Amino acid sequence: MALGLLAPVAQSADVEYGRYLSSECTTCHGASKADSTIPNIHGLGESHIAEVIKAYRTKALPNPVMQTIAARLGDDEIAALAAYFATAKRPK
Amino acid sequence: MTNITRRHFGIMAGASLSTLGLPILSAPALAQGKPRVVIIGGGPGGATAARYIAKESNGAIDVTLIEPLKTFTTCFFSNLYVGGFRDYKSLTHNYDKVRKGDVKVVHSMAASIDRDKKQVVLAGGGKVPYDRLLVAPGIDIRFDSVPGYSEKAAEVMPHAWKPGAQTQLLVRKLNALKDGDQIVMIAPPNPYRCPPGPYERVSMFAHVLKKKGFKKSRIVILDPKPTFSKQAVFSEGWEKHYPGIIEWQDPKIHGGIKGVDAKTGEVKTDFTNYKPALVNVIPAQHAGKIARDAGLTNQTGYCPIDAASMKSTVDPNIFIVGDASIAGEMPKSAFSANSQAKVAAMVIRAELTKSRAFPARYSNTCWSLIAPDDDVKVGASYEPVDGAIKASSTFVSQRNESADLRKQNYKESVDWYKGITADIFG
Repeated sequence: MALGLLAPVAQSADVEYGRYLSSECTTCHGASKADSTIPNIHGLGESHIAEVIKAYRTKALPNPVMQTIAARLGDDEIAALAAYFATAKRPK
Repeated sequence: MTNITRRHFGIMAGASLSTLGLPILSAPALAQGKPRVVIIGGGPGGATAARYIAKESNGAIDVTLIEPLKTFTTCFFSNLYVGGFRDYKSLTHNYDKVRKGDVKVVHSMAASIDRDKKQVVLAGGGKVPYDRLLVAPGIDIRFDSVPGYSEKAAEVMPHAWKPGAQTQLLVRKLNALKDGDQIVMIAPPNPYRCPPGPYERVSMFAHVLKKKGFKKSRIVILDPKPTFSKQAVFSEGWEKHYPGIIEWQDPKIHGGIKGVDAKTGEVKTDFTNYKPALVNVIPAQHAGKIARDAGLTNQTGYCPIDAASMKSTVDPNIFIVGDASIAGEMPKSAFSANSQAKVAAMVIRAELTKSRAFPARYSNTCWSLIAPDDDVKVGASYEPVDGAIKASSTFVSQRNESADLRKQNYKESVDWYKGITADIFG
C-alpha cells in the first residue's frame, strides 16, 4: 500500500532510452523533405507519434518496413520514442 | 598528424608511469582524460559509428576515422547507375560533415593493427593508439575463387562489386554492346555483400538492352547457388519486363563453373563454352585484409562477433561492423552496417564513459529495382538470441503486387538513400 502511494500515477517515459531507440528511425527519417515518402518525425506531438507507431504495430497502417519495426516495440518503448521525438530536432 | 604524435606520446608516458611503480591507470584515463576510439574504414559502418560516438558522447571521447579515400562512392544504389537511373556523382559523398561532427578524419591507409600495443599503424608509418578500435573494412574479392580470374582479369571482366573504377568500367562495357551481344554473369556463393545485388544488376542490364531496342541480346546468369534472394519476385519481374532475355542457371543446369579466360573472353561451365561480349564475374568474398591480417577472422574468412555488442570474440578492445563481420542472419548490406554501427557505438560509449547501455537491436531493409517503377523489398528486425543475431520478424515483397505499390517502393528507396547517406556522412 505504501509503495502504491509513493509510485507516480504514470511512469514517466525514458527519454534517454528513446534517444537510443530513435537511431533505428534516423536511418530513414533523418533527411526527410516535404515531398518525401518517408516523413519527418522530429518535433511531432508525443501522443501523435505513439498513436501512429501503435497503428503500424497492429497493421492498421500499411507498409511492411514500419510494421516490422513497430512489431517489437513494447508500450514503454513507444512512449520513450514518442517523448524523445516530441522535443528532438532533425539532424543537420 | 600532430594529434597522432601527441597521442602516441600519451602511450609512452603511460608506459613510464607503470615502470616507475606508480599505480597503473586504466587505458582511457591515460589519454589526457579523454578515451580514444579509432575507426578503420569510412563506409556505412565506420562513418556511422564515428559520427554517433562523437555526437552522443558530446566531446567526451576522442574519435579518429581512418579512411584512405577523400570521397566515398556507395556500392548501394550503384546498380541504379548501371541502369542509367542515377549518375555516378549522385552516389559520391565526402567527409566534410563527418569532420564537422567532431571526428578527426585521417585520409591514410591503415596498414596493420598492433593489438598488443593497441595501436593502428598507418601506411606512412604513423601510429594511432586506441582504447577501443572499430574495424569496418568491408569485403575483399577472392579472385582465386573463380579459376582463371585475377585482379588483372577484372580489367577485362569487371566484378564491379566494390564501388569506383570497376563500376564505371562495367557501365562503359554495357553501353558499348551491340544488338545480339551476349552478357554472362557469374554470381557469387554465400555469404557475400548485398544478397539481391547480382539479380538487381541483371535486371538493370536487361533494362538497358530493352531501352536500346535490342531484340537479339541475351543474359545468362551462372549461379553456384540453388536459390537466391527475392527469387520469386525477380523471376516474375524478368518474365513480365524482359521475357526470354534472362536465363538463370543453377548448378544442376550448368553442371559447375569451370572458369574464365580473360585473354580469349571465354567462360566455361561443365556443359557449355560461352564467349560473351560482356562478362561480369562476382567472385566469393571475405573480410577486408586488415581484419584478416590482425587475426580477427575465423575459417570462414569473416570476423566472429558477440551478437549483443558487435565486439570481436577474439579481442575485447575491438569491434567489427558491416560486411566484414559474421552477423548471424543479417545480410551484408549498408543498412545492416549502419544498424550494427549504432549498437557498437552505444556499447563503446558505455564502456568508456559509463553511459547507459541498452539492449542491442538491429534492422535491415533491402530494396531492389527490377524495371522502372517496379521495386521490391525485403527486410527484418534482428536481436541477439543465444549468442547469434537472429531475425525476430521479417517481410518480403510478394508476387502479383499492384503497380502502385511497386512504384511507391521505388520512391521509398530513393528517399531511404537520402536518409541513410545523411545518417552516415552527415
